[in-house]
Amino acid sequence: MGMNRRTLMLGTLLAGLAAGAAAPAAAQRVEIQWWHAMGGVLGERVEELVKGFNDAQQKYTVVAVNKGNYDEVINGTIAAYRAKRQPHLVQIYERGFMTMLLSDAIVPVHALMKEKGYTVDWNDFIKPVASFYTYKGNLMTMPFNSSTPILWFNKDQFAKAGFDKPAETWQELEKQLYAIKAKGAAECGTALANDYFWSLIENYSAINDQPFATRANGFDGLDTEFVYNKTSVVQQVTRLKKWLDDGVLQLAGTGFSPQQLFATGKCATYISSTADHGAMERNATVPWSATFLPHEQGVTARNSTIGGATIWVLKGHKPEEYDAVAAFFAHLASPKVQVWWHKVTGYVPLTNAAYKVAKDEGYYVQNPTREIAVLQLSRGTPTANSMGFRFGNFTQTTFALRQEMEAVMTGKKTPQQALDDSVRRGNEILRQFEKLNAGKY
Amino acid sequence: MAGGRRETGLKRAHFVEPRVAAMLLLPQLAILVLFFFIPSIRALAQAFLLADPFGTVVQFVWFDNFRSLLASADYRDSVWTTIWFTLAQNALTLAVAAVLAFATDRVVRLRSAYKMILLLPYAIAPAIAGILWAFLFNPAVGPLAHMLRMAGIAWNPNLVAGDALLLVTLAASWKHICYDYIFLVAALLAMPQSLLEAAAVDGAGPLRRFFLIALPMIGPTVFFLVVMNFVYGFFETFAIIDAVTRGGPAGATNILVYKVYQDGFVNLDLGSSAAQSVILMISAFALTLLQFRYVERKVNYDV
Repeated sequence: MGMNRRTLMLGTLLAGLAAGAAAPAAAQRVEIQWWHAMGGVLGERVEELVKGFNDAQQKYTVVAVNKGNYDEVINGTIAAYRAKRQPHLVQIYERGFMTMLLSDAIVPVHALMKEKGYTVDWNDFIKPVASFYTYKGNLMTMPFNSSTPILWFNKDQFAKAGFDKPAETWQELEKQLYAIKAKGAAECGTALANDYFWSLIENYSAINDQPFATRANGFDGLDTEFVYNKTSVVQQVTRLKKWLDDGVLQLAGTGFSPQQLFATGKCATYISSTADHGAMERNATVPWSATFLPHEQGVTARNSTIGGATIWVLKGHKPEEYDAVAAFFAHLASPKVQVWWHKVTGYVPLTNAAYKVAKDEGYYVQNPTREIAVLQLSRGTPTANSMGFRFGNFTQTTFALRQEMEAVMTGKKTPQQALDDSVRRGNEILRQFEKLNAGKY
Repeated sequence: MAGGRRETGLKRAHFVEPRVAAMLLLPQLAILVLFFFIPSIRALAQAFLLADPFGTVVQFVWFDNFRSLLASADYRDSVWTTIWFTLAQNALTLAVAAVLAFATDRVVRLRSAYKMILLLPYAIAPAIAGILWAFLFNPAVGPLAHMLRMAGIAWNPNLVAGDALLLVTLAASWKHICYDYIFLVAALLAMPQSLLEAAAVDGAGPLRRFFLIALPMIGPTVFFLVVMNFVYGFFETFAIIDAVTRGGPAGATNILVYKVYQDGFVNLDLGSSAAQSVILMISAFALTLLQFRYVERKVNYDV
């Protein structure tokens, strides 16, 4: 780190000497740190985003640092905060919302923007994105990368089995996937993504208007309790287990990416984030397309919910550094930047204005699968079951759910048993959070 | 010399100048204090607290963290998994290392080449070794998994708990065999060859020579390795577990040290994680003491 900074400073100095008159202006730039979790191609996009901001004005410099995956970023942030060496901005996944909100370590984004004199039309933010991160009517953190799961499918394999495209209901899709396997169009029907708990359990509950937990999935209070062991999630898990036993559903396991099972033509479908667009375009060797997630027969499909991360502002820095934060956020939320980000990553645009720009350009005529996420997120009016999820220790309760799901897959427990256990364990974790944070939400 | 005493032996060796001794000890003590004592004491304190990750709200909860651990089926499963895993890993590592060490001791041609090759896995980072094993035995794409299927063996560490445990045991042992091997080779080299040669002249085969002569003579080394293998299995197999199975399926390979990481660093349940690491530390300590008290007595140091 020190070495890097020194090299950087030397570089700046030399550049300054070369530029002559430009040197004093460059030296007065206010620098802010942003820790993020975007690796690989997404990391390069973040660099481009930051460079775009740094080049567009003279006063501020944002330094983006990749601190590993989401878990590592939140851990690094906590350690840094406790040591009073926290960055100004940090990208935290949606599951960390409550931890951050009640941490007493953050500056709410709406308050910051107001204080710094920016008028942001928060109402123009795409509803399911904004509502996920809104507390008492105000946006608490800056939405950054938001996605939602969609259904990817292999056009050739569907055609070979005599289907145009995937059916809209789980019941019909099941028939199709069994037919595809039986007719030998593909070796397996679908590959299980690593974040299946998000797409096949949580989003399933939202789309089918099933309560995941009481108190509007936790939005109304810390005394929320999980109830997904009493909803059609049981039916969903039973179905997935049947698919697994019949070889219609395949796991990739560790050491291999499930996306590859689809991208190489082994499995006919794959349910995962719309943010996989970049990877599909680059890696897939098969003719792919995508569509909306299926829903249960006889149910009016609701909106799906988001996943991804936001940028939190941390306390403890100088006022002029917060000026830089606000300027950066204003830049980030501008339709131009949003449309670019949406196109190069596959994440959904944050604002309706940006969505409209892309639509007016005819972007979705050429790239119809890029619009699915936006349409699916804004389908109908959100109910208490489809607004999103707000649980304390959410990572921990998700871990319990995943472990119990594995117990179903390995045949150790029946779906009902496993979901009962998962709910029981999850509720214990929720109570611990409630005890610790009593009166704070 | 000041005292004019000239005793020999470890117990009599001492520094006349205490400051030199202190200076020589200082680096080691500083490392111990910084990386062992301070973290241990902080873990001990954290184990009695219920705190949010940022440390904004802290409640003192006495033994609640320990109580809920002991009441959790998940934790008990993890204890059993750890016991099976460390025992199997220990036995396998020692057995293979002993056979290899004894075999290279007998090899005349290309001995150093064999030794080099056998030591290679030790130079591979655990995480990379783990990914290698996970990929080779991945039921969807792994070449070795494919061969197993061809041989009619239903192999699926993603879904079968036993397969997953076997896979991490193999991977962890493979990585550690080299360590045991170096020590055993050295021990065999230090052994008077005349004894083995005499036995060979008397008509004892390689196996008998190994079990009846070599093994008892390298007893202290084996004992040392058993202790080290336990420490390795308890604390250092984390990266392999993380890369090969992530503790799954359904917690089948979720050994205690991995659970400490999972609960502390992923789930951010610092109190429980601290309580677990305290228990782990105490049991490793107790185990080592037990081994020294009961097993060491049977070890013969007078070679």
